[in-house]
Amino acid sequence: MTLKGGTSQACAACKYQRRRCSAECPLSPYFPPEQPKLFQNAHKLFGVSNILKILKNLEPGQKNEAMRSIIYQANMRDKFPVYGCCWIICQLKYQVLQAEEELNAVQAQLEMYRQHHQISSMPDDGTSQLELGMAPPSNGLSLFNHTTPQHYNAVPAAALPVPQQQSYSNSSKGVYTSGYMDAKDINVANSFWAQQPNYANNNNNSMAIQSQLVVPQQQTIQQEVVQDYDELHPFFDTIDDRQSYIDSKEAYESSSSEESLKDTTQSTEHVAENELKNAAARFSLTSVN
Amino acid sequence: MASSSSYNSPCAACKFLRRKCTPGCIFAPYFPPEEPQKFANVHKIFGASNVTKLLNELLPHQREDAVNSLAYEAEARVRDPVYGCVGAISFLQRQVQRLQKELESANADLIRFACNEINPTANLPPPPSITPRPRSSSLGFYQQPPAFPLPYPLPWNDTSDPSGNINDGGEGNM
Repeated sequence: MTLKGGTSQACAACKYQRRRCSAECPLSPYFPPEQPKLFQNAHKLFGVSNILKILKNLEPGQKNEAMRSIIYQANMRDKFPVYGCCWIICQLKYQVLQAEEELNAVQAQLEMYRQHHQISSMPDDGTSQLELGMAPPSNGLSLFNHTTPQHYNAVPAAALPVPQQQSYSNSSKGVYTSGYMDAKDINVANSFWAQQPNYANNNNNSMAIQSQLVVPQQQTIQQEVVQDYDELHPFFDTIDDRQSYIDSKEAYESSSSEESLKDTTQSTEHVAENELKNAAARFSLTSVN
Repeated sequence: MASSSSYNSPCAACKFLRRKCTPGCIFAPYFPPEEPQKFANVHKIFGASNVTKLLNELLPHQREDAVNSLAYEAEARVRDPVYGCVGAISFLQRQVQRLQKELESANADLIRFACNEINPTANLPPPPSITPRPRSSSLGFYQQPPAFPLPYPLPWNDTSDPSGNINDGGEGNM
């Protein structure tokens, strides 16, 4: 019978193949005889020769990690025969997306609380400004700027991470930040393989599968929103009350694209003048034109 | 799914294997001749016979997705022979954990603010660490935990042994 040495049992690999398990059997450390299913899964997906080919080119310190990943991958393929590990990647990416959205929402709420706390802790002048119906402080708009477009920028367009050549034993997790973008739905089966993989030989940066790009649309929308508020930011800075808002708005609208710089300067001066008038109005309670 | 076997050009698999591409070639719909590297990777990592057996066990409408997932895993393994696509899983797992911690911290801050809003005069201590319950979040982030074992333990919980306790959950019923 296939016995390894004296009393020790043959490994699961040799048992399956019905051969003698020698002391130098390369697979015996990874496939104990008590767990035959491990080897069956690995054998079904990779095959013994392919596993040995993978291990042959690795350093001794990397073989354990490689076998762990091979066994895990084979188990996942056994569990999910159609998608294998890709299903797990999809699930995790969806969780990451959800967590990011929730984190953004909570941080936005926190920002609102901080602003409110800041406003409530301001001196009476600030309170009176609000009572007069003035626009909120300019930094209140930072709420809308407090998004993470940079974070989205770190997730370019591809459904799955782009595998890199360097091993993860170097904790090169930054590798995957440049590789993928998320699918919106967990039911990505239909959209998962929407685009055919690019297997052109010259394209080293191609990724196998790309899905529909929902996040970049969000990214575009967020950037547009941010830009809009950036454009309005200096505009709102100069507003103290509705009267000056109207004057400033007329000045703003009258400027053409060619003379935009000049008109902006003029409107700024005009608004500055209005600020003084409004400050006076605040103390004298007289309307100012 | 273009069947190239009915045309002059054999599929990428039959080209690679240098055999006649028959009308019933199982690879033809999924390995077009314009993508030779796709089959080359799959064959290198998994082998054509293994892929054939896998595809024969699946329904026809499942095969395209299966081939694409195999192609992805094969390419990942070619680029990273040590971790393959499992490296991506490990990275995403760490990312989820990191986001979870940030979310807990942000929620704790939010509760602290909310409490101060209700009773601004009281100096409230920081609330105890909140352990989110599954399915308790309004946005539903904390869904049911994944029903699959994750490959690598967290760095702060790294009690892995060389034999690989990660395999305990994934080996199925023995």
